[in-house]
Amino acid sequence: MDELELLKKDWKNRDKDFPKLSYQQIYNMLLKKSSSIVKWIFIISVTEFIFWVVLDFFLSTKESAKTIETLNLETFYVIGNIVNYSVLVYFVVKFYLNFRKIKTTDSAKELMHNILKTRRIVKHYVWFNLGFFALGVTVTFAMVMNHKDTIDSMIEAHQTIKIVIIIAFFLILLGLMLGILWLFYRLLYGILTRRLKKNYKELENLEM
Amino acid sequence: MNKELEHQFVTNLEKHQNIVHKICSIYTNDQDSHNDLFQEITIQLWKAYPKFRGDSKFSTWMYRVALNTAITLYRKSKRSVQTIDYEQVVFKIKAEEYDGETEQQLKLMYKALKQLNDIDKALVFLYLEDKNYKEISETLGISEVNARVRMNRVKTKLKSILNP
Repeated sequence: MDELELLKKDWKNRDKDFPKLSYQQIYNMLLKKSSSIVKWIFIISVTEFIFWVVLDFFLSTKESAKTIETLNLETFYVIGNIVNYSVLVYFVVKFYLNFRKIKTTDSAKELMHNILKTRRIVKHYVWFNLGFFALGVTVTFAMVMNHKDTIDSMIEAHQTIKIVIIIAFFLILLGLMLGILWLFYRLLYGILTRRLKKNYKELENLEM
Repeated sequence: MNKELEHQFVTNLEKHQNIVHKICSIYTNDQDSHNDLFQEITIQLWKAYPKFRGDSKFSTWMYRVALNTAITLYRKSKRSVQTIDYEQVVFKIKAEEYDGETEQQLKLMYKALKQLNDIDKALVFLYLEDKNYKEISETLGISEVNARVRMNRVKTKLKSILNP
C-alpha cells in the first residue's frame, strides 16, 4: 500500500515536531498528581459551603424566626452562625492555600509534608462540622424541652417516663443523623484523602 | 537505592520521550490532551518501572506500558462523542515540503489513522515505528498470526476510509 509507506516515511521525520522535555520537567510530572486531588478537596469544600449558605437562606423564613424567638434561641443562633461561618471560611481558605502550595511544590519531601497537612485539615474540618451539628441540635432540643408549655404540661400530667422516652428517642435520632452525616463526609472526602495517602506512599518510595 | 532507580528512570524516559510523544499524537487531538496523556503515561511508566527487569529493552517495555495506558484511557473516554474537525486533526502535522498532492495524501492518511479504533491505532503505530510482526505481537500481547490478520484488516479499513 503506497500511502502507508508514504506515511511511514513522514512519520520518521516527525521527531523534531515534538517538544523536548527536560529531565526536571519529567521528574516534576511524577510529583504533580497530588495537586489535582487537593484541587478537588478545595472545590468540594467551596461547593459545600455555598450549599449550606443557600440552604440557610431558604430555610430562614419569618416563621422559623418566630419559633427561634419564642424559644429564646436568638442569641445562640446569631453567635452560632457567626462562629460556624467564620470557621468554615477559615477551612476553605486553608484548603485553597494548601492547593496553591502543592501546585507550586517541586520537591517530594515538601509535597509529602503538604499531603499530611491536607489530610489533617480535612479530618479537623469533618470533626468540626459533626460537632457543631450535634451542638446545634442538642441546644435546640434542650430549649424546646425547657420551654414551659411542653415541660410543665408533662410534669403536671406526671409523665416523667414520657420525658425520658423523648430524650432517649432524641439521642437515637441524633446518633443516626450524625452517622449519616459522617458517612456522607467519608464518601465525599474519604475517597480523596485515601488517594492522597496512596500518593504519599508512592512519594515515600521516591524519596527513600 | 530508590533515588538511583528514579534517576535511571527519568534519564531513560528523557532519552526515549519521543515514543510517548508519538503515541500521544495519535491518541489525542489537541495540545492539552497531549500533555495530559504524556503525564499519565509518565506516571504509569514510573509505577510499572520496579517490575521492569531489563530482560527487554527499555524502549520495548515502554511501547507496551505506554500503549496500554493510552488504550485504557481511550476506552474510558469512548462514550464521549468523538467528532474531530479537520483543522484539529492536522494541527500537529507539519509535513515536510512535499508537493501539493503528496501533502494532501498525507493529511488524509493522518485523518484516517485518527478514525481507527484504539487497538488498530496501536497496530499502525507499531508498524510505522518499523516493528516487525514478532515485536508487534509481543508488545500488544497477541499472536503473530493474529497481528498479521489484524494488520491486513486495518489496511483494508484505511483504504475504504481513503476511497469511500
